[in-house]
Amino acid sequence: MSTLLSSIMTTGFFYSIIRITSPILFATLGAVIVEKAGISNIGLDGTMMISALFGSLTTYWSGSWIVGLLVALVVGVLVSLLMGLFAFNLKTDIILVGIAINMIGSGGTLFLVKVLTQLSEGKSMASTTSLITKAHQIPVWNIPLVKDIPVIGSVVSGHSILTYVAFLFVFLTWVMLYKMPIGLNLRSVGENPNAASSVGVSVMKMRYIAIALSGLMAGFGGAFMSMSYAMGWSQDMVAGRGFIALAAQAMGSGEPLGSMFAAILFGFAQALGIKFSSIGVDSNLASPIPYLVTIIGLVIFAIAKRNKEAKRRKMKAA
Amino acid sequence: MSKKAQLRFSILRGFVAILIALLVAAVLVFISADGATIGAKLSSTGDAMLNMLVRPLWGKKGFAAKNFTDILAAMIPIIFTSLAACVMFAANQFNLGGEGGIMLGAFMASMVAVYLPLPTGLHLVVALIVASVSVGIMMLIPAVLKAKLGVSEMVCSLMLNSIIMYIINYLMNTSLADKSKGQVMSYDFLPTAILPPLVDNGSKLSWGFVIALVFIVLTSIFIYRTRWGYAIRMIGINQDFATYSGIKVGLIIVLSQVIGGLLAGLGGGIEMLGRYTNYQWKALPGYGWTGITVACIAGNNPIMVLFAAFFMAYLDKGCNLMATYCNVPAQLIDIIQGVVFVFFAAEQFLAGYRQKQVVKAAKAEIEAMNKAGKEGER
Repeated sequence: MSTLLSSIMTTGFFYSIIRITSPILFATLGAVIVEKAGISNIGLDGTMMISALFGSLTTYWSGSWIVGLLVALVVGVLVSLLMGLFAFNLKTDIILVGIAINMIGSGGTLFLVKVLTQLSEGKSMASTTSLITKAHQIPVWNIPLVKDIPVIGSVVSGHSILTYVAFLFVFLTWVMLYKMPIGLNLRSVGENPNAASSVGVSVMKMRYIAIALSGLMAGFGGAFMSMSYAMGWSQDMVAGRGFIALAAQAMGSGEPLGSMFAAILFGFAQALGIKFSSIGVDSNLASPIPYLVTIIGLVIFAIAKRNKEAKRRKMKAA
Repeated sequence: MSKKAQLRFSILRGFVAILIALLVAAVLVFISADGATIGAKLSSTGDAMLNMLVRPLWGKKGFAAKNFTDILAAMIPIIFTSLAACVMFAANQFNLGGEGGIMLGAFMASMVAVYLPLPTGLHLVVALIVASVSVGIMMLIPAVLKAKLGVSEMVCSLMLNSIIMYIINYLMNTSLADKSKGQVMSYDFLPTAILPPLVDNGSKLSWGFVIALVFIVLTSIFIYRTRWGYAIRMIGINQDFATYSGIKVGLIIVLSQVIGGLLAGLGGGIEMLGRYTNYQWKALPGYGWTGITVACIAGNNPIMVLFAAFFMAYLDKGCNLMATYCNVPAQLIDIIQGVVFVFFAAEQFLAGYRQKQVVKAAKAEIEAMNKAGKEGER
């Protein structure tokens, strides 16, 4: 236990929490935005996989991470718009569309990577890792001045640029949802589409905007996975982060800031799992920790919500 | 719209959906096909599509019996996961735990098959019951959390899938593996627990197929002919209405998911004891997702599951043949599956056409009535 504590209370551990949280945070913000409009996008996981693949491949082809990132974002938005087309225009259950995107995200991407790169190291080993060098990765930012502060500097500084973008987006999402007309329209569509429509808000348009924004976030998350978190794309690399994001959204009661803290909690659980396996705990025991924490978190959140509602009812009665 | 016209429309709609999926597949195969010129590419695309669509049943020497039994054998686990999905989705419970369920069922059946010596016959039955019941119990977690606390059964069951996989892998790696084998595998099943083959041609088509057919009928009776099944469908159609009409919604939510679990677990046990001689899965097998697709194509109707499962198993076999002979990755099946899936699920797909048919039928009816009326006047 003491070895575990001493290895946790290091700057490296806190640095890794922030790093691991970043992709979850992007996806979480995507979930927050789209849920505000009353839509459950469970295809975030698959969208991230597809974005991660195209981001990694275009970086390799173009040699520039900026191009790769942009393509990842565009792909994320396009996939989401396609989901929207099926869900809103063809009236498919959004959950089923999400499942389909996740199928394509896990098996279809493997097909694409084999076709596009002619790589096939065995059946399960296809990845773009061999194509990618350090130069293709999204660069890190050593924040001037901050990086020289002891302890804090080594935790906060030196992350991928996208990590800072992720935390910045928490603020921007809040601004968009609560301080801009578009946010008001978006929330009104989520609360009561008929009422929104009666005052002239185009429900269809707002839903498309919401799902496109969630796709943009998934694009960022996917790009982070294949261009910063890992060197290149590999099969099932997103590993349920899109679903964890849905849980984080629920735990944060759909608010950007609260959901951010929930995402950090999952980042912590995952970092802890990695630490556990580094001190000799079987990785098969350490890996399920974040998933377990997700379930426990959802339960605690649900109980807390129920108690709050019970209290409110009591106050009303009194 | 008459019932006959309705049926005609759903067949047409399914046909168009499959056609679109195959077109998408053809485009992807074309991109990946060998050949320098467009002509060469086209011909190798044609060759690949031939392998995928025709070869599974009609080889170069006529009817391919071995492939046919392969396909039937591949249907066994898919039928069970899709029956599970039918029951759960009919109640609007998007529990995606079929994937973990089938793995847990397979694992539990294996443990009974290896470590619990029992007489012939009884051993197999006990192994399958243990597999089924353990997954039923596992499904209590998302089901009760949903019914009591409103926790999303979808997220919960997905997380459970991963947890189950890691824990089974942990148990296998640490204590259960047979160290004399080169890979991580359990000890061999006792011969009393093996599900005997139906056809002995190496296809691994076991008696499990017959059990699967029986369960298709049983599930169908359950959903359409019992009050439990009625309650499940009622909740799926309108939960508020079900509540007001006195159905115990919480209980039915739990029931639907537990039955889904029982079915998935049984499928896992049957697949394991019918196909393998020891437990050797290292990752989630993917049958859960295919099962969801099949349930969707079948419109949550257990009888239709038989045909939908045949269709998916056929395509899967086709994709494998294509991968073997034409250098097109077999994962194409996932893309086809996804495309077929969304088009089947799309309520408004071809709605314009249906609208026209309805209008046409109504017009014809009015005309006939007018005619009859005029004749009456005379």
